Amino acid sequence: MIWLTWRQFRIQAWVAVVFAAVVAAALAATGPALYDLYRSSGFADCTADCGEIARNFTAQATDALNTTLYVVGTGALLLLPGLVGIFWGAPMVAREVETGTHRLVWNQTVSRRRWLVVKLVTVGLATVVVAVTISAVVTWWTVPLDEAGPGRMYPAVFSARGVVPIGYAAVGFVAGVVIGMVVRRAIPAMAVTLLAVALVQAVVPFVVREHLVTPVSATAAFDPSKIEQLGIHPDNRIDVTQGPPVRGAWVLSNTMAGPDGKEYHGPSDPVKCGRAGGPQECEQWLAGQNLRQEVTYIPPDKFWALQWREFGLLAVIAVLLSVFSLWWIQRRVA
Amino acid sequence: MSSVITTTGLTKRYGRRTALSDCTLHVPAGHVVGLVGPNGAGKSTLLQLTCGLLTPTAGTIEVLGETPHTGSPRIGFVAQDTPVYGNLTIAEHLRFGAHLNPGWDQALAEGRIAELGLDPAQRAGKLSGGQRAQLALTLAIAKRPELLLLDEPVAALDPLARREFLQGLMAYAAEHGTSVVMSSHLVADLERVCDHLIVLVNSRVRVDGDVEELLGTHHRLTGPRRDPSTLGPGRHVVQASHTDVQSTLVVRSTAPVDDPTWASDRLDLEDLVLAYMTEAGAHGRDRVLEKR
Repeated sequence: MIWLTWRQFRIQAWVAVVFAAVVAAALAATGPALYDLYRSSGFADCTADCGEIARNFTAQATDALNTTLYVVGTGALLLLPGLVGIFWGAPMVAREVETGTHRLVWNQTVSRRRWLVVKLVTVGLATVVVAVTISAVVTWWTVPLDEAGPGRMYPAVFSARGVVPIGYAAVGFVAGVVIGMVVRRAIPAMAVTLLAVALVQAVVPFVVREHLVTPVSATAAFDPSKIEQLGIHPDNRIDVTQGPPVRGAWVLSNTMAGPDGKEYHGPSDPVKCGRAGGPQECEQWLAGQNLRQEVTYIPPDKFWALQWREFGLLAVIAVLLSVFSLWWIQRRVA
Repeated sequence: MSSVITTTGLTKRYGRRTALSDCTLHVPAGHVVGLVGPNGAGKSTLLQLTCGLLTPTAGTIEVLGETPHTGSPRIGFVAQDTPVYGNLTIAEHLRFGAHLNPGWDQALAEGRIAELGLDPAQRAGKLSGGQRAQLALTLAIAKRPELLLLDEPVAALDPLARREFLQGLMAYAAEHGTSVVMSSHLVADLERVCDHLIVLVNSRVRVDGDVEELLGTHHRLTGPRRDPSTLGPGRHVVQASHTDVQSTLVVRSTAPVDDPTWASDRLDLEDLVLAYMTEAGAHGRDRVLEKR
């Protein structure tokens, strides 16, 4: 059974090996130079007020090659679940049913369940190996640039670092198998799998993730030097936000409260903050308004805790889908 | 005589559609059994229930003394359209057969492939319909099953390939004493090779029995027009057709019909099966003859 699985899977396996090897080799070759720059720019050892150093480092490090590698590495991990779902998962049962060969193979001396278990384990392991390889190299390579940029807590970046890509890839693969089994036709199953995986990749980061760890809620007095955005409307309404207290945090909500405790939107003083006054005058005037920043965020030191919890959730989903597929193949597919 | 297949009230429904209805059968061991009926009669359903690919909606089925399940070493199944893996070579098919079947007879498999003049390095996707059917049959018999099921194995073959396939099958069955159940929608395919027959029309078994016995007990009677019900006890009218002056009846009767007003003829197997199919059609629920 393992031989047959390998014989049917070997072309896809080689494609994946070549793909993973190319990505890993490119990152391994350019990583040391990136880390040299990381250290020589002083950014690696910087502990406080690193904004300027970070900007300098980013400007030097993001040449065309590194920018491409950053996008390709991150993109590869974000696309991997969809790709394994479409090309490895969905056709696994659907193609057999479509060509009638399930009637051939299930009438050998091997039960349907064992046939499926061997296939799930073999191709599932291949999925995990590919995800581990690419994610390990990408996670290592992107540390300096993530630190200088929006940070690895940023939702799309978080999904492409650490252990969660393994979880997404596993869910993508098993979801593909289950959808193929239920839809019974390869091409429609591939399309449905693409949609399902995209849905998981949107719902988990933007709906579920924030509930996996307890966010930090903080209140801070308004500090004009930390203004992130300042907008003044013609009707004197004002929108002001202040940067989060911790660098690289994933900010869930960030509002400015007025003296009454409600969200502050002015009205602003047309003299200080209008066309006549400069930005500094307006900021000084705002400082006198008794404003408070109310912010909820997940700090970057929760990165690994959140990674493992999300990975655990995805692993449970993958196992439940596998159990369902073993039940379904015995009852429903013929 | 022991049975290889015993069914009681076996029924299979797909949603509202009934594919097989209240089927009660005993298929004796050591025979080559023909399962005949028009397309859509339920032949594939019955065979897939027998090999365990399908589970019954109602009723019971026992095959070789146990509830059928796929993955049994005792049943060989050649599915409709004789599926094989198009991108695997013949040798790779034999290899996976050897991997997946503990009772695999590699010598038998290789011998058959050589006898057929097939190149083991050839991809199965490039084989002709007849060669593909032979490969599927080779896979099914090299696992050395006690019961071999074939679902319309020759439907897509030309007459020569049909004959070669059936000869190969017969030679194997005779040599190893394997029970065979083979379906077809053409009686002519089964006539030469089967010694037991099951006629399935419109999801119901119409008649089943030993071929010699069926031929011996069915008669075509032609005579002046009369009501078939006046024929007397022990005579079952299978089919009746009338003109203004004449009646033609197909009758099942153990005793010979010696009424001098009737001209009695023997039927050949095709006529017999057709009589049952026509009768099923005349009773309205489907249009068997138009399908043919």
